[in-house]
Amino acid sequence: MGGAGKGGAWRTHGVSVEGYRHRRTGTPCQDAWDSAQWRTGEGEDPVVVLAVADGAGSRPRSQEGAQLAVRLATEHFGREAAELRVPAGDAVHGLLHSAFQSVCREFLVAVEQTGARAQDFATTLTVVVITPDWLGHLSVGDGLVIVRAGTDADGAGLFHLLPQAEAASEYSNETVFLTSRDVGRWVRTDCVDDPGIDAVVLSTDGLTQAALTRFQTPNASFLAAVLGPMESPAKDPDDDEAELAELLRSDRLSAVNADDKTLLRAVRV
Amino acid sequence: MMNEPPPTAVPQYADFDFELDNNAQRLPLVLCLDNSRSMEGRPVQALNEALREWTRELHDDVSLSYSVEVAVITFGDQSVTAYRGAEPLHPGMNLSPFVPAHAFTPPTLAANGVTLMTEAVELAMHIVAARKTELRKLGLQYYRPQICLVTDGLPTDGTGHYTTTWQRIVPVLAEEQRARRFRLYAIGVGGITDRGQAVLRAFAPTYNAQLQGFPFRELLQMMSASAAAEQKGEGEEAFEKIFHQFRTQRPAWEA
Repeated sequence: MGGAGKGGAWRTHGVSVEGYRHRRTGTPCQDAWDSAQWRTGEGEDPVVVLAVADGAGSRPRSQEGAQLAVRLATEHFGREAAELRVPAGDAVHGLLHSAFQSVCREFLVAVEQTGARAQDFATTLTVVVITPDWLGHLSVGDGLVIVRAGTDADGAGLFHLLPQAEAASEYSNETVFLTSRDVGRWVRTDCVDDPGIDAVVLSTDGLTQAALTRFQTPNASFLAAVLGPMESPAKDPDDDEAELAELLRSDRLSAVNADDKTLLRAVRV
Repeated sequence: MMNEPPPTAVPQYADFDFELDNNAQRLPLVLCLDNSRSMEGRPVQALNEALREWTRELHDDVSLSYSVEVAVITFGDQSVTAYRGAEPLHPGMNLSPFVPAHAFTPPTLAANGVTLMTEAVELAMHIVAARKTELRKLGLQYYRPQICLVTDGLPTDGTGHYTTTWQRIVPVLAEEQRARRFRLYAIGVGGITDRGQAVLRAFAPTYNAQLQGFPFRELLQMMSASAAAEQKGEGEEAFEKIFHQFRTQRPAWEA
């Protein structure tokens, strides 16, 4: 068995909180997340889809855009992956692009019906699809995906940052959105064929400074801390949601990034 | 420069041993201030008071205090001086004038001498470019820098006579701003003449203002508001709105 599929179910949990800057001005969180599991065949592990989105701070309806994007992503990426059952490799890239085009089409139809400009709903989108055979990743904008696979000499899990989409500018707060011109040029896809993956973390760029070191390598201490409560089957991840949200709102994390923050965690149980 | 961010007080996660150095996204901010003789007396006193008050407000903002990096350049006396916090940097000192806002202490300025505005703006551009290079080397992300030029006069040479040398940096500034290398704010205060204001308009076609009195406190608050807008990822229209409000809605007592 290849991909992310050494068997077993995935436990997922996500949380989005408004950033320090939005909190100071009473602006709601413009991030969103969603996850879904799609059944494949009898006795087979389901396809798991994880999605996070970061609505553009400069756009009036970007919160709705982010929510719409993650909902459409879990639907289209999940359905295509569950129905097509493609093998690892080029076919996965094709599937990811196809699902992305479906998301964009439906996104634009939905926002057109509001009568507002599509740009008013501008949002990034980062999606992970976990099948029994592979892990697929598609990203537009500056979201992060980190997977855990393998262990070091002390038995601690090793974290790996999946390649990120090309930066849109030298400034960290400027990125590409679903509604950007030539968005297709900025889409990043990857297919990971590693049966050892046992945890996946998605985040919006509000957690870049916590999840990564300044050298763009995963910050294992932070990642291990936030995955900890997910590891024990006896614990319900919802139980620590308030504490996790409080951590994401804490001065310690606000000091290094004032943006909205989303953390979507998945561990194999 | 690399002080630890504030502690976390979250019951469940407080015990978790995760490391976090200050890898905040940085926002270099240069205050390019006229302290020539015409600023003597109440104007420079008002400037010093406003700098102290603004510093307190910056320290109170959890995020700006770790993100904004302040450098002060003055043009007065007989020279252009870069300060690293309260300390003037002497020529040959190989130190960055940028100080993280949470560690920033403003200099106490005195007013005297000539108005070497052109040289001050050139130095501001130079230190911004150098800081970006340093930040990239350190692996730190950054926002678009802000340069705030404040003057009540005309550019002069070292003998205090008006000079047209400022014209040499107009095309340079135009190209730098077109390339979005920084946002330049050019503010005329006190009794700045129309001729003086024309220089500021040429330097900063979008963000220039001619203000009565010496509203330094509001000016520095506008700088903070613009920095906060950067953190929110606002579009250019938000910066224009903040600047418009600053330019037009100052309290009446300042008029």
